[in-house]
Amino acid sequence: MPHIANFESHMFSIRRTVALISGCAALLLSGCVTDSGSGSAMPTAAQLNKPPTKDRVLWNYRNGLSALRQGKQEEAKLQFDEAISVIGNIFGSDKSAKKSRNYFNEESKKNFIGEPYERVMAYFYRGILYWMDGEADNARACFRSGELMDGDAEKKDYRSDFVTLDYLDGYATFKLDGDGSDAFKRAQEVSKIGQLPTYDKKANTLVFLEFGTGPTKYAGGEYGEELRIREGRSVVRGAWFKTGNKAIRIGAYDDLNFQATTRGGRVMDHILANKAVFKSTTDTIGNVAIVGGAITAMNRRSQNVGLGIIAAGVVSKIVSAATTPEADTRTWDNLPQFISFTALELPLGSHTATVEFIDAAGRIVPNLTKTVTFTIVEQRDTVLFVSDH
Amino acid sequence: MMMSIQKSLSSWFKPISCSLLATLMVGCTTGVRNPSGVPVTQINADERGFVAGTGIESQDLVAVTDKMARSILSVKEISQATIPPRIVLKPVENKTRFPINKDIFLTRIRSELNSKAQGRVRFLAREQMAALQNERELKQTGQVTSNSNPNVQEFKGADFFLTGTLEGMTTRGTSGTSDYILYNFQLIDARTSEIVWENSAEIKKQGLEDAAYR
Repeated sequence: MPHIANFESHMFSIRRTVALISGCAALLLSGCVTDSGSGSAMPTAAQLNKPPTKDRVLWNYRNGLSALRQGKQEEAKLQFDEAISVIGNIFGSDKSAKKSRNYFNEESKKNFIGEPYERVMAYFYRGILYWMDGEADNARACFRSGELMDGDAEKKDYRSDFVTLDYLDGYATFKLDGDGSDAFKRAQEVSKIGQLPTYDKKANTLVFLEFGTGPTKYAGGEYGEELRIREGRSVVRGAWFKTGNKAIRIGAYDDLNFQATTRGGRVMDHILANKAVFKSTTDTIGNVAIVGGAITAMNRRSQNVGLGIIAAGVVSKIVSAATTPEADTRTWDNLPQFISFTALELPLGSHTATVEFIDAAGRIVPNLTKTVTFTIVEQRDTVLFVSDH
Repeated sequence: MMMSIQKSLSSWFKPISCSLLATLMVGCTTGVRNPSGVPVTQINADERGFVAGTGIESQDLVAVTDKMARSILSVKEISQATIPPRIVLKPVENKTRFPINKDIFLTRIRSELNSKAQGRVRFLAREQMAALQNERELKQTGQVTSNSNPNVQEFKGADFFLTGTLEGMTTRGTSGTSDYILYNFQLIDARTSEIVWENSAEIKKQGLEDAAYR
């Protein structure tokens, strides 16, 4: 009987020790949870209107595009200028980026600047706004920076392959009495809609179109360490631009689904993959140590050793649980799927145009037709921006 | 026997719990850097700040426009002119990949020349022509007073145009981004179309983003 009592007493001691260690572990994990979770206190109105620093550019992107669609160009300029001032100056040491590479911080801790296709679009929209202000050279600067942002693709074929940006780079150069043929040639080489319209110096109306819902991001892999793209969808495949006796059919120059899915691997993907391996390994070590330690601890002679192994296993599990290989899935979620462009010559004065969006079969998509009123003035391009959103 | 087990348990439990608590404390002290913020730092416009990119920045503007203003004053058409030549600024063309406020270069060159040339050159305010013509019409119609005959044409014509281009070349690879910018300015004789002065400045910058952004 004393033996049984001793054994039960031993087991009680072991259970108590394991419970204490587990309690400490739970405390450790809960102690490190940040206050950004759903369980935190309700944010104030001021907090709701002010993005966290790390998401500021994401807010700039979304707000800028919303403002542009609403015709609030000054607001759109402010938003995109703020975003570009960040994404164009991210060289060197960045504390938030360094933190996101750490095993115990998510990638989303870094200041958001977006994937290349998102950065490209920020420059694209700012370029449109510059052209609206009659600054074709600054518009061209934006298109060129946009092309550079798209130069990171893993496969050479997909680098700097935005048709619209090269085409517009050439068009702006042509309009400024330069030679835009090189840029036109580059655009033609990657064009998916066949022969692009040649530049027309007399064209005084530039129409930028966007339609559909753009791509979004999600995390895949065992620990969400793989950044994946969910393609956007669009019934609309093109548009008719009609004004006076002119009707121009416009196809999509660029598909953001294609741009988002052809980037290939990122440097950050390797870092996240390493984090995932570390998480998996420490978890496995933890499991093995706890089971092995428990078996060892059953033997009275090696009880201390067993308990030590269990403790080591728990620590390893804690480290595993604290490792965060999740990919950053923050997305500029009001982007379109397609962007397009056309230029035409119209007489001076006021005009009204209708833009009819069409599906793949060429049928007009109901409820999306837009009417635009604009004025053509001398010695300046009139720039229109039309969205199906 | 039991006493010895409990003794040994407590002997290794203490260090483990202490180490866990230490880890807890250390783990929870990270998170917010510069919790009190970073105070505003005033630096000269010709200094490179701690926020820097490969594009056109204030120190480039100052260096380039200082060089151009000094160079213009040494042109014999300016330095040896008996009557101060009149210059009109023509917008700079930006051929780089960086959208910029293009007027800022010529504004600073004009400002430097006006403050340091002691009247050896005069600039014409062509961007104010609409307001100037309106004022003249008001004088001509007698709606406002005039100290001289408002019907005499006194708006000056330009002797020279000052203009320029900013041209760029960019290289981007796995080792980073490199931007070279050529700032070129010209003084053009308005009567003969001759380029009487030309000077340029070159600036090249390189940088590499954190791996988290690549």
